[in-house]
Amino acid sequence: MRVRIWGTRGSYPVAHAHMLRYGGNTTCVEVEAEGHCIILDAGTGLRMLSEALQRLPAQPRQYDLLITHTHWDHIIGFPFFAPLFDPNVSLDIYGLARTQSSLRTTLAGALSDPLFPLQFDDLRAQLNFFEIGAGSEFELGPVKVRTALANHPYRALAYRLETSRGVLTFIPDTGPFHTVLFGEQRIEWAGQPTARSQSELRELAAMKEAILELAYGADWLIYDAQFTDAQYARFPHWGHSSASQAREIAEAAQVRQLILFHHDPHRTDTELDQIVAKQQSLAVPGLLVTAAFEGMELERRP
Amino acid sequence: MKVRFWGVRGYVPTPDAAMLRYGGNTCCTAVTGDQGELIVLDTGTGFCMLGDELMQGEFGRGRGTLTLLISHTYWDHILGLPFPGVVHIPGNRLDIYGPDSTRGSLQMVYDGMLSPVYSPVFGLAHIGATHRFTPISTEPFIVGQLTIRAMPLSYRPHSPIWAYRLEERGRVLVYITDVRYGESGIREAAIAFARNAHVLIHSAPYLRAEEVEDYGHSRIEDAIETAQAADVERLVLFHHAPTRTDDELDAIVDRLRQMLAAQGSALQLLAAAEGMELVV
Repeated sequence: MRVRIWGTRGSYPVAHAHMLRYGGNTTCVEVEAEGHCIILDAGTGLRMLSEALQRLPAQPRQYDLLITHTHWDHIIGFPFFAPLFDPNVSLDIYGLARTQSSLRTTLAGALSDPLFPLQFDDLRAQLNFFEIGAGSEFELGPVKVRTALANHPYRALAYRLETSRGVLTFIPDTGPFHTVLFGEQRIEWAGQPTARSQSELRELAAMKEAILELAYGADWLIYDAQFTDAQYARFPHWGHSSASQAREIAEAAQVRQLILFHHDPHRTDTELDQIVAKQQSLAVPGLLVTAAFEGMELERRP
Repeated sequence: MKVRFWGVRGYVPTPDAAMLRYGGNTCCTAVTGDQGELIVLDTGTGFCMLGDELMQGEFGRGRGTLTLLISHTYWDHILGLPFPGVVHIPGNRLDIYGPDSTRGSLQMVYDGMLSPVYSPVFGLAHIGATHRFTPISTEPFIVGQLTIRAMPLSYRPHSPIWAYRLEERGRVLVYITDVRYGESGIREAAIAFARNAHVLIHSAPYLRAEEVEDYGHSRIEDAIETAQAADVERLVLFHHAPTRTDDELDAIVDRLRQMLAAQGSALQLLAAAEGMELVV
């Protein structure tokens, strides 16, 4: 199992001289296992993966795309994935089942006039949609996949990918599990924690438990660290975590390497260096703290 | 009036070291009138950077006003709009002009982009700043001391694409993007609309010789031909291709300038770069 990170940024892609080292493309991670290609999210990093695939002597014919949720920063790379226009390719797309709109309708709506000059019918690849929920378990070639719900506006999925050669847990967008419980409704934030019922508190605790299980013992935990602690205090209703909150989850789940992810579009390379150094200095022994950069590769040492 | 480019890339942002000089953020151009009126042409991701700068002034205190002219709603021209803090601060005001589509009014299309499947904003109703939408027409309108005209440059009803002409005290700026000269009558309409402009900003992603599937988008040579036919003083190429490096763009501009010189053309040619400012 080899992991490559193609897009690290959250909210929107940013082209800035002081952000190039960690990268300005939005979220996309590739997992390769025994020739099987699994893609996590379709931010603009997917365009970079697409370009890299075009340089290979032979391209895979089959891809699995696991989508955490369909906020813009997680889907805007989708139409720039060249295999979509290859009739010999099949692409299995997994995402959260919703009552309001199918995954296909959501993606098609983003891709069609008047937002984009394509229609789903223009795509030549065979597309298969799989709408899944929290707690789903399935196998993609040699990879065992498991899901849980992350704490994010309108809900998002988190994924655990496991082979005998490594475990990756991918939680690009989640708030912490104490202040706000996100669901189908918008959270109005008046500067104070919203009043919470006992059932909401129980749901938050259960959600955290499931997230810790999903991350438990992972070689690599890619986790939302969009915010500083000060930003989190001001904007808890956007559904993102700070680096220290990410580290606390990594410690509780006893992961080996934390990969801070979904960088704020204002965060410079120097600031990220400092955030990593600080969180590493606070981390329990045995936890390696890193921040995702474009081109980062992860593989268990033999 | 003054022009400043905040995003010059077409299709998709390109955070790439080899493209930083021209810039990797998508379409956004700010025009400032002589009395300080702020008019923004399209809101690709370049608008996020403009928004950050505006935050330092009146917009940071909820007292800012800007006029937004939207050419069309493809991602690279609109996706930056909901992100900067300035649009979330109550008291700020955005007067937004742009085309309605047969799939819905501009306001409905934008509201759909902010729906919870796509955005944590949960819809336009939850945006803090006042957004006032006006469907665009060919009727001229006034913003401060500027007269603004608009012209449809595509007949595709699902995705109308409009061009803008801004005039102030006899000085003229024209903005034409994503135009498809393959449609009948469009070339003539564009030339008439750009007539005698002091500055023409024209999308120009690819050369004719480049074999790229590009949805009928005009080529770099089309921009030059329109500018020449309309007696434009300065042509600014923008909406650069996402694969185009800075060095490649330099070479293209050099070659085109040599071609213009050899023709004895008086047309001045520039390629838009992020941060570049022009006085019209």
